[in-house]
Amino acid sequence: MSNESIMCPEYKARLNTATSLVETVKMQLRQGVLRKRNLVWLELTGCSGNIISLLDGSNPDFKYLISEMTHFIYNNSLSASEGQNAMEQLFSVLGSDYILAVEGAVATKNNGLYNIIGRLNDKPLTAMEAVKSLGEKAAFVIAIGACATHGGVSAARPNPAECVGVQSLLNRKVINLPGCPCHPDWFMATLAHILLYGEPELDIRNRPLLFYSTLIHDRCPRRSYFDKGIFAEKLGDKTCMFKLGCRGPVTRIDCPIRQWNQYVNWPIEDDTPCIGCAQFGFPDAMEPFISYNTTREVKR
Amino acid sequence: MTKKIIINPVTRISGFMEIQADIENNQVVDAKTEGLLFRGFEKMLQGRSPFDAVYFTQRICGICSTAHSIASTLALEDAMGVVPSEQGRYLRDILHGCEFLQNHIRHFYQYTIPDFVKLPEDYPLFKAEHSDFRLPKEKNNVLVKSYFHSLDISRSAHEMLAVLGGKAPHNHGVFIGGITTQATTDKIIKIKSILHNIYQFINDRMLSDVYTIAEYYSDYFYIGRGYGNFLSFGYFNGYKSLGTLYLNPLVYTDGKTSVLDPDNITEEIDYAWYTDRQSTDKPFEAAPGCMMNSEAQTNEQPEADMNKPQAYSWVKAPRYNNLPFETGPLARQWLSGEYRNGISTMDRTIARVLEARKIALIMNTLLQNLIPDVSMQKKYAIPEAAAGKGLIDTARGALGHWLKINKQVISFYRIITPSAWNLSTRSSNGVKGTAEQALMGTPVKDINNPVELGRTIRSFDPCISCATHIYTGGKHINTIQVIP
Repeated sequence: MSNESIMCPEYKARLNTATSLVETVKMQLRQGVLRKRNLVWLELTGCSGNIISLLDGSNPDFKYLISEMTHFIYNNSLSASEGQNAMEQLFSVLGSDYILAVEGAVATKNNGLYNIIGRLNDKPLTAMEAVKSLGEKAAFVIAIGACATHGGVSAARPNPAECVGVQSLLNRKVINLPGCPCHPDWFMATLAHILLYGEPELDIRNRPLLFYSTLIHDRCPRRSYFDKGIFAEKLGDKTCMFKLGCRGPVTRIDCPIRQWNQYVNWPIEDDTPCIGCAQFGFPDAMEPFISYNTTREVKR
Repeated sequence: MTKKIIINPVTRISGFMEIQADIENNQVVDAKTEGLLFRGFEKMLQGRSPFDAVYFTQRICGICSTAHSIASTLALEDAMGVVPSEQGRYLRDILHGCEFLQNHIRHFYQYTIPDFVKLPEDYPLFKAEHSDFRLPKEKNNVLVKSYFHSLDISRSAHEMLAVLGGKAPHNHGVFIGGITTQATTDKIIKIKSILHNIYQFINDRMLSDVYTIAEYYSDYFYIGRGYGNFLSFGYFNGYKSLGTLYLNPLVYTDGKTSVLDPDNITEEIDYAWYTDRQSTDKPFEAAPGCMMNSEAQTNEQPEADMNKPQAYSWVKAPRYNNLPFETGPLARQWLSGEYRNGISTMDRTIARVLEARKIALIMNTLLQNLIPDVSMQKKYAIPEAAAGKGLIDTARGALGHWLKINKQVISFYRIITPSAWNLSTRSSNGVKGTAEQALMGTPVKDINNPVELGRTIRSFDPCISCATHIYTGGKHINTIQVIP
């Protein structure tokens, strides 16, 4: 076993923060060592919340992403063109080097007709067809958010649109960035890693270890209350929310040390349990999100 | 000769949509708006814990998730008989205000501006095909700068939301009783400081930017009218000591304003991809006694059916007194009397910007009335059986959640979104939805680049993610046979 594999993941995470990765990209682009690569961001069956989350990113921000890091070719929420022209713009990347980012699940019911993302050559284009044709030929495919990685809320029981994650449609490696939504840094630094060093180190479910290595519970600022058995009884309390249904003990993600929206807060600091949105199985396997004593005796 | 225009995707909206329009003599003579995404949230919610609706329903929409947390919380409070404290209401409405600002700023700059302003074409994302860009170079440059500057401002609106809401999109702050955490002084002043910057941006830049567009595209004051029927569930209203800071639930039709009665709301599915025994139904009456009796009916859900011949969209047709209504910023500005210049594509766009300033001012008032450190959470118990509704105006307009609880789980959930009102399909009698009507008569200069249609549709700020999650049930009020 190499020394690297037993290094403390938190220490590693600190060495490779999103900002330092992006700074290196910036420098290398300036020096001409690195070239900008084409990026396509598909929105499929979901809430389009991951592109909104991307706009919430800072250092690097969206402007930096489209100006300095990539040729950002297409996104449904942001492209100036529309209709057939927009579809031609999207498919112009075929035959070139491009990275495919996908948010949203793939609806498979009725041969994919539950989600039509445009019209190509006078025919409706399903999300399913788009993912297949763009996904097989991309240099990298990054699934962003819970829906794209494993179906997420779009595939919640009874899954009326028969949604699946992107990986289920493609015979190739898909880098998974679960989360509802995906934190902008998780995407930006994964992209930066690809631009600089190629594929980042992934776990067995193809999540970058940089972000997904450690349980929330292991780095939770309220961990000492858990260890002492001091538990919150309601939302708004300042102690451990394990008994309110906190999914920190099963969710591997760096929220406690990263935080959200200019790093001002995160769900546990807001006195609510983690609902496990960055874990596979969200939402069905993570519910109920709020209960007032999960360790109560079950009446039979 | 009639020519058909199809625009798909209609980019720069939330979700997936197609516009079909018939053109004669360069004018729209028929139009359809089609929502092309289906998930089925109402069915998914059945059997889940009622508390989870607050987080679950936020996932309907990434740009307006807070709206769904508010509507579901109101429905739960109604069902559980919980009355939030005034401080709780202020805080919740401040969080919602943050989202209004985020939404309106992004909608204006990222979704609307590219229709009117030539953005730098060295960005592939900004490549546009039509040539109807009218601003002189210097003014165009000012708006390009604003496009990029606005990104920092809208981001800071979400930052402000996260200060008390944990994160955005999909916040953790809104909950039964008010919000989850306490507003401490450090958080209050942080929000005030961010809000101050946002207000300055709206006042100094956004207002002049929208009036620049209005000056050079003044023909859009005569395009995109629709029916001129307005509806609002009210917002920032009925505070115990502050009274109404914006508007009460009102409707406007035939030149008359009257008080909204939720009992007049129905939904029709004649032209949407669903089948049911009846094509029109009504959100349930919130009387728990009736609820149990209608339980059998509730469980008979209409099914998604893409083979239904005349159907063309996943969006149903909400109606008030059987009429289509417009909802959103122009409806609110009109109903509250703040802006009555006219009803058109441009008026809708201006009203959204004016409303952004109004919301910032209201938020400031609410912030001034906060008492720090108030806790508002309790250990809540889920009732065995109950029903409740949450009707509230949100960034895009009137949003309603109706729910029933049975055996301590959700047994029924219905959501009618603002975009379902604005982007609705036709009624059973063939009457067009509001946005469809707004497209009628629109002059189209270049049939190969019909930029006029998208401009009008975007003035409604469509959210197709919101509008097409529908999978309904409920009490039926009449019996119109539809295709089996």
